[in-house]
Amino acid sequence: MAEVHAPAEAHDEHDHKPHGWRRWVYATNHKDIGTMYLIFACTMFFIGGAMAMVIRLELFKPGLQFVDPQFFNSMTTMHALIMIFGAVMPGWTGLANWMIPMQVGAPDMALPRLNNFSFWILPFAFTLLLSSLFVPGGAPAGGWTMYPPLVLQTGASFPMLVFSIHLMGASSILGAINIVVTIMNMRAPGMTLLRMPLFVWSWLITAYLLIAVMPVLAGAVTMLLTDHFFGTTFFTAAGGGDPVMFQHIFWFFGHPEVYILILPAFGIISEIIPTFSRKPLFGYEAMVYAVASIAFLSFIVWAHHMFTVGMPLAAQLFFMLSTMLIAVPTGVKVFNWTATMWRGSLSFEPPMLFALAFLFLFTIGGFSGLMLAIVPADYQYQDTYFVVAHFHYVLVPGAIFGMMAGVYYWLPKWTGRMYDLKLATWHFWLSAIFVNVLFFPQHFLGLAGMPRRIPDYAVQFTDWNMVSSIGGFAFGLSQLLFPYIIWKCVHSGERIGNRAWEGAHGLEWELPSPPPYHSWTTPPSDAVIARGAAH
Amino acid sequence: MGAELMAQESEERQRRVRRSALLWLSVAAAFYFGYIVLTLVRAAR
Repeated sequence: MAEVHAPAEAHDEHDHKPHGWRRWVYATNHKDIGTMYLIFACTMFFIGGAMAMVIRLELFKPGLQFVDPQFFNSMTTMHALIMIFGAVMPGWTGLANWMIPMQVGAPDMALPRLNNFSFWILPFAFTLLLSSLFVPGGAPAGGWTMYPPLVLQTGASFPMLVFSIHLMGASSILGAINIVVTIMNMRAPGMTLLRMPLFVWSWLITAYLLIAVMPVLAGAVTMLLTDHFFGTTFFTAAGGGDPVMFQHIFWFFGHPEVYILILPAFGIISEIIPTFSRKPLFGYEAMVYAVASIAFLSFIVWAHHMFTVGMPLAAQLFFMLSTMLIAVPTGVKVFNWTATMWRGSLSFEPPMLFALAFLFLFTIGGFSGLMLAIVPADYQYQDTYFVVAHFHYVLVPGAIFGMMAGVYYWLPKWTGRMYDLKLATWHFWLSAIFVNVLFFPQHFLGLAGMPRRIPDYAVQFTDWNMVSSIGGFAFGLSQLLFPYIIWKCVHSGERIGNRAWEGAHGLEWELPSPPPYHSWTTPPSDAVIARGAAH
Repeated sequence: MGAELMAQESEERQRRVRRSALLWLSVAAAFYFGYIVLTLVRAAR
């Protein structure tokens, strides 16, 4: 009789893991790498947030108060780069690392060493970017959009900017490939595509977006680099190049990037609302198709960011109408979330509170986006604080609140302990109130004509700037509660069982809390999968 | 499931993982070089 070998991964069923620094530097475990991504994102969130405080401090009163204009412009540029590439994107990748293998019934990510490499690129990329603050000429100050010819005037920090963008891009592409390969190849038998949780679906679509657009950004900055150092004239009009071409290429990346930042939040909200409504998600398949439609449309709307450069009427109409079309699948999602709550048995724990704030406030950002999509109106709003208000409503109560909702939802699973619900509720209310004090007045400032990216302004804008700055300081301070709540949870939270929330469904809730080092060494049975996929 | 069958399935899965990782890496590379070529072609017009 042939000898029966145990499955290759059987020895991993024990919870043994490397200890000390080796556990983190050589990490190949999806949970360890997820934790590192989340800690990195949180650190960047506070660094980027500190830069936002500098911006709001300078804008508290008209006139130059604390920083010179060059440094102010560096702050706006670095704040955007750090928040987008350092906080939100790694934050989502951290959540993907933690949750996707657990949710699809896999023991780990498909390519664990690549996963380690993707993460460890990031600290180098951001050390490089942040160290540009200390080189002659200061950090990049031409805006995160890096438009030529302005960006070509950047001093010694220019190659640092380009190289750090390349590193961030490489990290994102490798991370995205790992996620696609994991979802397509590592699902447990019986975990069909239409049984996958919405978070997994939204990440699958996000990963396809990343693979398609991050190389485009890398190509664009490579061309900037050769224009700067090797005498090419891709974007230099004097040599026959076209600076507007850069804007087209940049926004071909930039608009899908917006959806890269928000789609995983859609997935998380689609997990949380059913749990705290104690009802299955309304219209699961419609939600999947809506996310896919939004992703598709994101590729054909880029020029709405650049209506004022001058383009044929037909192009303006096309980009205006295609942009407005995005409201349809987004409306489907908002309708389905609301319908999920309809006649549900609702409760308002912190994840649900953040999800509800997401629903209301992201919709406000969506509406102002529709206003900006209208070409003649956009001519008025272009480069004003109205645009700043719009994208911060989408990204702060959208992406950031979505991420916080996700962390508050899954933290008990990760740690095996419940956090201080009262303190987290305080965190929610302070965030929800002050995010509006911070960003809502910026709509008024923009409509009144205050331009963005300026360190000084006309006196008639003073009052709303003061209100906005007060909101900014209070919002920033209230975020300090977040790491404290997590720290307290890890150290002294009350122990909980497998299912932290009464109405939670999904494979992750079938595992113990905290889950074993390798999640599903034996694939879950079909009955367990069916119980998890209660939509 | 027999041990041999499991080993075969694991090998097949590894092959699939490698194949799809390479496929998506080439898609990313195509987008990177494609956009540079596109700009060159447009500039040459």
